[in-house]
Amino acid sequence: MIDTVTKIYGGMNNEHNGYKVTYVNSNKILLVPLDEANTDYQAIQEWIADGNTVIDNPPQENN
Amino acid sequence: MSKIEVDTIAPQSGTTVTLGEAGDTITVPTGATFDASSGTLTLPDGSVTNAKLANSAITLNGNSVSLGGSASIASGMFRNIIINGDMSISQRGTSFTGLGDTNSQYTLDRFKWVEEGATDTAEYTVSQSTDVPTGQGFSKSLKIDCTTADTSVDANNIQYIGTAIEGQNLQYLKYGTSNAESTTLSFWVRSNKTGTYGVALISNDSTEYLYSQTYTINSADTWEKKTLTFVGDTSANFDDDNGNSLLIQWYLVAGTNKSSGSSQTWGSYTQANRAAGQTVNLADSTSNEWYITGVQLEAGTSASDFEFLPVDVKLARCQRYYYALLNTGENDNYFLSGYYYTGSFIYCHTEFPTQMRASPSLVQGSGTDYYTFYSNGSGDGFDSFNYNITFLTRNATFGNNSQVSGTGGNAGRVYSTNTNSYVHFNAEL
Repeated sequence: MIDTVTKIYGGMNNEHNGYKVTYVNSNKILLVPLDEANTDYQAIQEWIADGNTVIDNPPQENN
Repeated sequence: MSKIEVDTIAPQSGTTVTLGEAGDTITVPTGATFDASSGTLTLPDGSVTNAKLANSAITLNGNSVSLGGSASIASGMFRNIIINGDMSISQRGTSFTGLGDTNSQYTLDRFKWVEEGATDTAEYTVSQSTDVPTGQGFSKSLKIDCTTADTSVDANNIQYIGTAIEGQNLQYLKYGTSNAESTTLSFWVRSNKTGTYGVALISNDSTEYLYSQTYTINSADTWEKKTLTFVGDTSANFDDDNGNSLLIQWYLVAGTNKSSGSSQTWGSYTQANRAAGQTVNLADSTSNEWYITGVQLEAGTSASDFEFLPVDVKLARCQRYYYALLNTGENDNYFLSGYYYTGSFIYCHTEFPTQMRASPSLVQGSGTDYYTFYSNGSGDGFDSFNYNITFLTRNATFGNNSQVSGTGGNAGRVYSTNTNSYVHFNAEL
């Protein structure tokens, strides 16, 4: 069961390019790309549609 | 015409007997002929039967094979639409415990344990087993062991093992046309629970269609081969893409709202028809077990022998959907290269052994200093990769930007420090 979803800002321009997902009672962490064919991405969209909120951290400086 | 009656024609010397001369045709009353000018032996249609062909008896002298009639290349190599049907590949591990309400998940490669509908107390362990049908060539099976029983199934609950197929691998079935091919599903199954089970094909594109049937386990704790033929759907085609176009589901538990209907050929996705006719509740006792192996879905109306593939081919086919770069228990190993992009960023890169179905997710174990980046003579521990730069279908670049500190430009390698550390990539359907 998904616990938290956090937006990842990455790439060369610090654009939103993925999600970090944590799970309840699990040490598993996922990094999920923005690909509609990815079933983890699809699960995040369903989780959001169920009323859950994505954590949106400010862009990080990487260059 | 003169007639010679002899018992044997033998060479006058040596070992060769020549009949006729160049240009002659020698006719046998049954219709077989031998053209001495070209050396061509012609046999009448139907005169060679399967029983007359021994294994490895045909040698093809050329680079191409033409198939006549309705035969297609699908009836040859890779005729099995199912990947990992012999249950031999299990990259995620070999035992999956506590499977129940909230943790539907892939287990052995390409096979997913799923529970849908209302909550239920039943739990299971799914594992890779060496219990297989004797003398069939299999070495592994998928085993489901009920570990927490539930004798009262909610009407909306349904539990099953399923697999899924990309639409672009199904185009030769010609669904949506008058030439739609029938398919035949065969598998070996065993359980202590005799009775009727449901199994269904579900086409999963813009409109869902269902085709459900039943099979019966007749003898307890005995491997039995089951064969079910599904007529092709002439009304709707599979999308020609990398999406989930066809689901195959073996039902183990089905509430009345999932089983009270009727088995059906291709038609609307009616929930009550999914496991129609199922009488077994695999969750009614912790003594219950269910095994399956030798799963094959192929074009045609009959089941051929299971198509065994080399292990490297099987693994590569599975890695299109899931790739284990580092497994648990493989600690104390370097498994990845990278560099400090800046003093507080490490970037790492890996190539995938085969192109994945879609851009994959990185799946990893996380904990205090599960990973260490060794560079310039020292180690830099971090809990997990937290940063994806690019995830393509052929490679990925990712890293950590919250727990590392080094010198920009220095190269290094990532070390698995904890036995529970793992890094996988998921592009499953």
